[in-house]
Amino acid sequence: MKKASLWSLRLGFSNKQASEIEKLGLEKFLSKSFETQYDAILPEFLKDEPKTIEDLKATRDSIKNATKEEQTEIIKSQVKKSIDLKNWWINKMQHEELPLHEKMVCFWHNHFVATTKKVKVNYWIYQHNMVLRKNAFGNFKILTKEIIKTNAMVRYLDNVDNKKGKLNENLSRELLELFTLGIGNYSEDDIKNGAKALAGLNLGENGAVYRKFQQDNEAITYLGKRGNFKVDDLIDIIFEQPNIPFLITRKILKWFIYDNPSQELVSYYGNYFKKVNFEIQPLLTKIFIEEYPKENAGSKIKDPLTYILQLMHELHIEQENKTLITFFLSQQGMDLMNQPNVKGWDGGNAWLSSQIYLQRNNLADLWCNGRNFTRKAFNQMGNEDSIMKDNNPKIEIEKVPIQLDWSKNGTNKTVISELSNRLLFQVSDEMQKEMETILKYDFDLESEGAENAVLRLFNYIVKTPEYQLI
Amino acid sequence: MNRRNFLTLTGTFTGGTLLLPNFLHAFGNSNQIITGEQSVVFIQLNGGNDGLNSFIPYENPLYYDLRPNIGIAKDKVLGKNKGMGFHPALKDFATMQQNGHLSVIQNVGYPEPNRSHFRSQEIWQTASNTNEYLSEGWLGRYLDIHCHEHQPTAGINLDAIDNLSLKGKQPNSITVKDPNRFKVRKDSDEKQTLSDNPQLDFVRKIANSVTEGSDEIQKALANSKSEITYPKSGLSKNLEWMARLIKGNLNSKVYYTSLNGFDTHDNQVNSHARVLGELNDAVFSFYNDLKEANLLQNITIVVFSEFGRRVKDNGNGTDHGTAAPMFIIGGNNKGTIIGNNPNLEDLDKGDLKYEIDFRSVYSSLLENKLSFNPKNIGLNTNSLTGLF
Repeated sequence: MKKASLWSLRLGFSNKQASEIEKLGLEKFLSKSFETQYDAILPEFLKDEPKTIEDLKATRDSIKNATKEEQTEIIKSQVKKSIDLKNWWINKMQHEELPLHEKMVCFWHNHFVATTKKVKVNYWIYQHNMVLRKNAFGNFKILTKEIIKTNAMVRYLDNVDNKKGKLNENLSRELLELFTLGIGNYSEDDIKNGAKALAGLNLGENGAVYRKFQQDNEAITYLGKRGNFKVDDLIDIIFEQPNIPFLITRKILKWFIYDNPSQELVSYYGNYFKKVNFEIQPLLTKIFIEEYPKENAGSKIKDPLTYILQLMHELHIEQENKTLITFFLSQQGMDLMNQPNVKGWDGGNAWLSSQIYLQRNNLADLWCNGRNFTRKAFNQMGNEDSIMKDNNPKIEIEKVPIQLDWSKNGTNKTVISELSNRLLFQVSDEMQKEMETILKYDFDLESEGAENAVLRLFNYIVKTPEYQLI
Repeated sequence: MNRRNFLTLTGTFTGGTLLLPNFLHAFGNSNQIITGEQSVVFIQLNGGNDGLNSFIPYENPLYYDLRPNIGIAKDKVLGKNKGMGFHPALKDFATMQQNGHLSVIQNVGYPEPNRSHFRSQEIWQTASNTNEYLSEGWLGRYLDIHCHEHQPTAGINLDAIDNLSLKGKQPNSITVKDPNRFKVRKDSDEKQTLSDNPQLDFVRKIANSVTEGSDEIQKALANSKSEITYPKSGLSKNLEWMARLIKGNLNSKVYYTSLNGFDTHDNQVNSHARVLGELNDAVFSFYNDLKEANLLQNITIVVFSEFGRRVKDNGNGTDHGTAAPMFIIGGNNKGTIIGNNPNLEDLDKGDLKYEIDFRSVYSSLLENKLSFNPKNIGLNTNSLTGLF
């Protein structure tokens, strides 16, 4: 695989930026990416959603007083808005000229998890996402402070129930275990005491605020320091701990490059991260610039998002209906804004099981044959029983226009190498042989069936294990 | 005399020895002779199930003192036995115990307990010590040795994600979200040689098991059908599939599935009852299904969670704790209660002290149900006695 193609996938979701990386060089490409302006305009579909505490109360009351049908309608509309929100985001990831910012927002959203399922207020999930957008390339400590004080977070981790005399440790625990230091760097007492400092940090109009009568103002000991601490103090203390840079550095390396980063790399970049005072942009620059020349292709399993966006880009499928992408992602275990738990998606080997692999192959088969997938078709694939039961012998499948880019000047071998250079991190002799069986030496690039034959080759490539790796 | 002996005896007397079929029928409640394969089914309760509100020490006044808001009233507790009884939502667990098919193992845990979900699950799934990090699961290690050749359906995991327990050096297990979606494929089934890239080898093996496993599964599904109606829930669906695979002679040694929703930090009374109800209904249907197929004696169902919860409530929920009961159903277990009732006085940071190491339960399952020496996978804890 060409370096520029590999890094276009790693720093984005497809091969789209490969030529830009080649043209500008990585360093310039990165500085251009860091300048990405984020869109702060409230999307249309959220305009009428409840936003203030008062709005929410009003909504709740109106649900209470509504008829059963009206209630179902209200709930349906909220579910629809939550899907709109995911689609809004997918659209950005797909069309952003320099998608590194989106990729980083997605990283943070899988680090500071708050799910629609539990938070339930779409606007709060949006606000949470906006904090990530604002700080994606900013400062880790500032981001931590801001994100903890979102309504989404205090509700997601039950801090709304954390009150003086009736503590709930959830947020306090995850702040240490999953968001910052990681297991082994704090004690159970720190969690209990942290919960005291967080007691009363509850929902507010523009983010979480302390409520006077729910606070616990007792002096506590936290990570060896004693005093009257509140949320920002806790985070200040956490960021004085020697092990603070490593958990997040490891996760960044995992997100962009290696499923299993070496301890050496984690310490090396982690120490640098500390030196630059937890500024994210210089850390990313250093990692990408220094890892680019290394021979490290194929060290990471593609996540479902990259998988589907890359496939769409290759086949020039626009897919106006983003809900199908959202649906595919949830089937693949990568439901946006709805991770299975606070730890977020594990990534790495967890991205693939036999069933997930099979789904990927099914999607590839459909698209490479110019057929679009519908929710129904997807559910029925390989399920002959249910087709019989429904008395519906034919699956309704709509056509989708596809077009693959390949150069008509050359031979079967030039087509094979063109495709493998942008799609496969390595090609074994066996694969080369198989590809030359699909496109034989006497393959005529000008013939009528050429387009279809190259698509068959492409279809074969995207189902290989090698294609699953970047 | 325990209940089962009593029933067997009365059965023998009242059934009459004159009529042979009736006489045999009188053994209906006693253990069946096991012929054919044995398997173990694991149901993992994710989030940390509150043991004290599942199997309840209703005679201990401390229980009500420490749980003023969420304690289950004595008159609601079911299947009372030696001061312990079931949450009302677990009504059929009580029935299964009455039938002599369910054992409760009390205060199960491990030394130096970890209260993090992820780490504690990891410990349960790898059977490691608290300070030991293993990358392979205990069942995966067992299957690596047990399966002389790579056997993709030796372990079946019905879940959205792979399960660490079943992870071994060889992919001897398969993760299936919904077996009916399996499509038989014929391509890419040639032998793979190992590369120097572990990620690539991993993906290649998965690519192969897609083909290998689905044939076996399709065959088993074709050989069986659903005889009873299961309730509509995710767990029920998974257990129904398992029953079909078992009845269709898939001959997997281990089945695994999980149920979410046990992390009851708040609103425990309602949410816990709901999720226990889902567990109860699903397991009881599965139990009846196996019983009807005369397979209950071959299948041991193990219900467990990564930890129990704090003894004292936090208002309307409970925080992470330590030891908790495990439930064993079927497989000719002795149908008793093993271990002391929870000691609510002598606590460790507000949590129960474990009395039975979960690894001794694993050892007992391996020895008695899978005819396997637990020491071969590094389980050196003595096997729990009195279970089978």
